[in-house]
Amino acid sequence: MIGLLTLSCEKDDICDANTPTTPRLIIKFYDNQNPASVRFVKDLRITSIVDGVEKAIIFEKSNTEILNDTMVTLPLKVNENLTKYKFTFNSKSEIQSLISIDDLTFNYTRKDEFVSRACGFKTLFEMNASNQNPIIINETPGITAGNWIKGVQITQPKIYNENETHIKIFF
Amino acid sequence: MISQNKKSKDTTAVLPKIDRYGLRIGVDLFKLSRSLYDKNYKGLELTGDFRVTKKHYFAAEIGNENKTSNQSQLNFTTKGTYLKVGFDYNAHQNWLNLENMIYVGLRFGISSFNQEINTYKVYNSDPFFNESSSITVNQKFDGLSAKWGEVVAGIKTKVIDNLFVGFSVRGSNLFSNKKPDGFDNLYIPGFNRTYNGNFGVGFNYTVSYFLPIYKKKNLPKIKSK
Repeated sequence: MIGLLTLSCEKDDICDANTPTTPRLIIKFYDNQNPASVRFVKDLRITSIVDGVEKAIIFEKSNTEILNDTMVTLPLKVNENLTKYKFTFNSKSEIQSLISIDDLTFNYTRKDEFVSRACGFKTLFEMNASNQNPIIINETPGITAGNWIKGVQITQPKIYNENETHIKIFF
Repeated sequence: MISQNKKSKDTTAVLPKIDRYGLRIGVDLFKLSRSLYDKNYKGLELTGDFRVTKKHYFAAEIGNENKTSNQSQLNFTTKGTYLKVGFDYNAHQNWLNLENMIYVGLRFGISSFNQEINTYKVYNSDPFFNESSSITVNQKFDGLSAKWGEVVAGIKTKVIDNLFVGFSVRGSNLFSNKKPDGFDNLYIPGFNRTYNGNFGVGFNYTVSYFLPIYKKKNLPKIKSK
């Protein structure tokens, strides 16, 4: 009986990595000339201000701050209704004029949902329709394109899981 | 020699065994003492059993618990009352007038309770923004209930006169569990903590007092030659 007890304790007191918890934002990059096909970004660096300091995302695949891929997953703040990221394209270039920066501010509503004893709660996000500007480019509401980003499209406003693309960025 | 031997045999054969019948009431010492040392726990369980036949006892437990569970991701309080009824079967063959028990039994348990989430943390597999603070909600869910079956195994030993101490272990299985909308019954008064399935475990450590009501002479069966 004691063996059974310890077995069951171990099993559900640690949040299993396979349990879907707080989802991250899934962004896919597309070719602005050919909007149906994905496009690799070149040396993209993504940063945000954390505790007053600029912090770069470390990408899982490469384990570096540099992304050369067609998609990215970004965490959203679970205690605020907006998250702002700075996207630096061609960040490794030695020619300053070739480096291009755009800021994106994601506005959303949140709700926390119970998961389990071990995992606690998860936060679900929604880029809601009542918000006129769910995504603001370069802190200028109303504009549809930035420096290197030529367009942003929300494909799934409900960020409930990581199984689908939520946002498309065209460049 | 021969006659003496015969005589002693006869003496043991006719010695009458007296079985006392009555009500035994007790208290779970574990819940009682835990209420003193654990500031997150208040609980009381009263136990009772009534001897119906030589080996069968009608048995019941009634209790109340107020428990705050503090876990890494969650802090919640469960409050409620429970009742368990069933029977015990004494599998122990007592010598002379001893009244010890080594028993197995079954119970049907029912609990009525409420849960309150005090604080929680959002689980974030990507702690990029260093957000780990607890969120205080104080969200209460009333009118919850659960029903379960229990298999009991235990012992009861007479220490002095009519005073008994006992220990029992229990394995239980939920039949029904009315869960709150948006939360779970992670603890059920009387049933204890829940796991992924319907299974649960428990124990008690009792001290009880026997109130004799009537006696029955239990004469040994005389074999006819």
